[in-house]
Amino acid sequence: MALLRFTAALLLVCAARLGAQAAKASEAQVKAVFLFNFAQFVDWPPEAVPDSQAPLVIGILGSDPFGDFLDATVRGEHRGPRPFAVRRYQRVDEISRCDILFISRPVGDQPEEILARLKNRPILTVSDADRFAERGGMIRFVTDRSRIRLQINPQPAEAARLTISSKLLRVAEVITPTGR
Amino acid sequence: MALRDWPIQQKLTAMLVLISGLVLLLTTAAFAGYQYWSLRQRTIDALSLRARIIAANSTASLAFANEADARELLSALRVDPHMVAAVLYDKRGHVFAAYPANVAGDAVPAAPGADGYRFEHGLLMGFQPVEEAGSQRLGTLYLASDLKAIYDTFRLSGIIGLAVLAVALLAAYLLSRMLQGTISQPLLALAETAKAVSTRQDYSVRAPELGADELGVLTDAFNQMLGRIEDQNRALRESKEGLEQRVAERTGELEERNEALRHNSAQLLAANTELDAFAYSVSHDLRAPLRSIDGFSQVLLEDYAAQLGEAGQDSLRRVRAATQRMGILIDDLLKLARVTRAEIRAEPVDLSDLARDIAAELQRATPERLVEFAIAPHLKAQGDPRLLRVVLDNLLRNSWKYTAKQARPRIEFGSVEENGGRAFMVRDNGAGFDMKYADKLFGVFQRLHSAAEFEGTGIGLATVRRIINRHGGRIWAEGAVDQGATFYFTL
Repeated sequence: MALLRFTAALLLVCAARLGAQAAKASEAQVKAVFLFNFAQFVDWPPEAVPDSQAPLVIGILGSDPFGDFLDATVRGEHRGPRPFAVRRYQRVDEISRCDILFISRPVGDQPEEILARLKNRPILTVSDADRFAERGGMIRFVTDRSRIRLQINPQPAEAARLTISSKLLRVAEVITPTGR
Repeated sequence: MALRDWPIQQKLTAMLVLISGLVLLLTTAAFAGYQYWSLRQRTIDALSLRARIIAANSTASLAFANEADARELLSALRVDPHMVAAVLYDKRGHVFAAYPANVAGDAVPAAPGADGYRFEHGLLMGFQPVEEAGSQRLGTLYLASDLKAIYDTFRLSGIIGLAVLAVALLAAYLLSRMLQGTISQPLLALAETAKAVSTRQDYSVRAPELGADELGVLTDAFNQMLGRIEDQNRALRESKEGLEQRVAERTGELEERNEALRHNSAQLLAANTELDAFAYSVSHDLRAPLRSIDGFSQVLLEDYAAQLGEAGQDSLRRVRAATQRMGILIDDLLKLARVTRAEIRAEPVDLSDLARDIAAELQRATPERLVEFAIAPHLKAQGDPRLLRVVLDNLLRNSWKYTAKQARPRIEFGSVEENGGRAFMVRDNGAGFDMKYADKLFGVFQRLHSAAEFEGTGIGLATVRRIINRHGGRIWAEGAVDQGATFYFTL
């Protein structure tokens, strides 16, 4: 027991240190990298990929909280042969072809209408709005003492025929909407 | 003890054990080297496989900065006690998660090194890139394993190898002890036989033949050699015995003959001595009655010449002549006897002087004869001067006598080369003799001419031969009737 307590204390110290490091980079920066990383752990259905060279589009609906962090993160990067592209939308009907959509606050605070409009389209929906996953979103960023955690609701992803890697599920908190 | 003095059995055993030991040692060393290398390779393979699995599993943890998940992944390593440390570095090279959780900061590299695996500081360590398939690099995994597993396996196989080596050496030793007999036994038997032959001189022993290989051939040849030596020894012994017997026989015969010869010569000597004594005493004793006969014949002639008449006086004169001749005969016989008995006193003698003396004497006695003498000068010899004078006197007087009827008599004294030595010679051109009587010349009373033809007693040449013989010399003669005679002698 003494050892366990000691280890736990040590873990906390380590975590605090790493947390302090993360704090240096802004929260937005981390979220931008996460958005980019989702592309590595999610597979889209073939009809969502018009051709093998088509850019993988990361869209931002509403105000952009990342500044140019996201553009810097994806610049020059590829997923396989596909380059990345960043698009910014103000309204849902502007969204034509998009693979990952970040719904920023405050539009994300009432996501039900947006999600209903996007329903069954192969778009990975991400937001940091409260209870986003419970309310039909796929992935929510949760800020927990300066660390970003993930909540994933696999059900809408499955409905949109997106395959989320089990590795991604392992590092996230899986949300099952109540009533199901 | 020097190696070459070792018994052949030990040499063979040592050789076999050494060879098999060396072979085993090399084999073991090669195997150990291979095993060490393959163990390291296997350890690298195992570590890199494990690293790849962990790296593949930790991509999401790195991508979404989930340290708890990363630590949990790494903590699975605790099932392997040889894992010393493991560290996950993030994209920027900062430590993201470590195993064991309480690992000291300086026990692991502060930043990732070059990708790959290497042995360092008694550890096997490696850096494995962490990346999601076909995408950019998310970080680096560091793993370090101690080499105890290698060393334990290596030590175990080393112990097994040494045990096998020991057992194999023992087996090689025992086997060689058994097998070397096939070579050493015939050799030892040969050596034993050779020793018996040389110490006991016994050539009847034979080495036992134990096979048909080269050693068998050697043993065979050795036995044949012994057999031949034995045969030759027997033959030698037999011929030696035969020889000894023959020598003994011959020696016996010789001794018998010697004995007979000794006996004969003693008898001869006694007979000779007796004969000489007899001749001397007879000659001596004959003189007295001879003198009486001569004396009284003279008295009769002087005192009774008238009564005797002319015929009686003539008869008495004949009696006197005969008694005088008999006196000369007796004198010669006495001379011969004396020559036989006399001691020889050798000294240098000038024979030429002697010959001239005698020639002058002869000329004085008969001055009316005209004889030519040719006497070589300075002929010298070693001998008894008195006896050598007798020799020359006899020979020259002979020549004087037998040249009496010669119109131009000539007498020569000289020397000739004879058989590498020197022979003296007296030659005349007188009556000579027939060579078929040459061997009778030197006998006593042997005469080739009648006393009426040439006067003489037949003793002179016998005396000469005896003197020459007593000087160790030789005398011989050559001649032909009416062609003269030559007498040769050596001293």
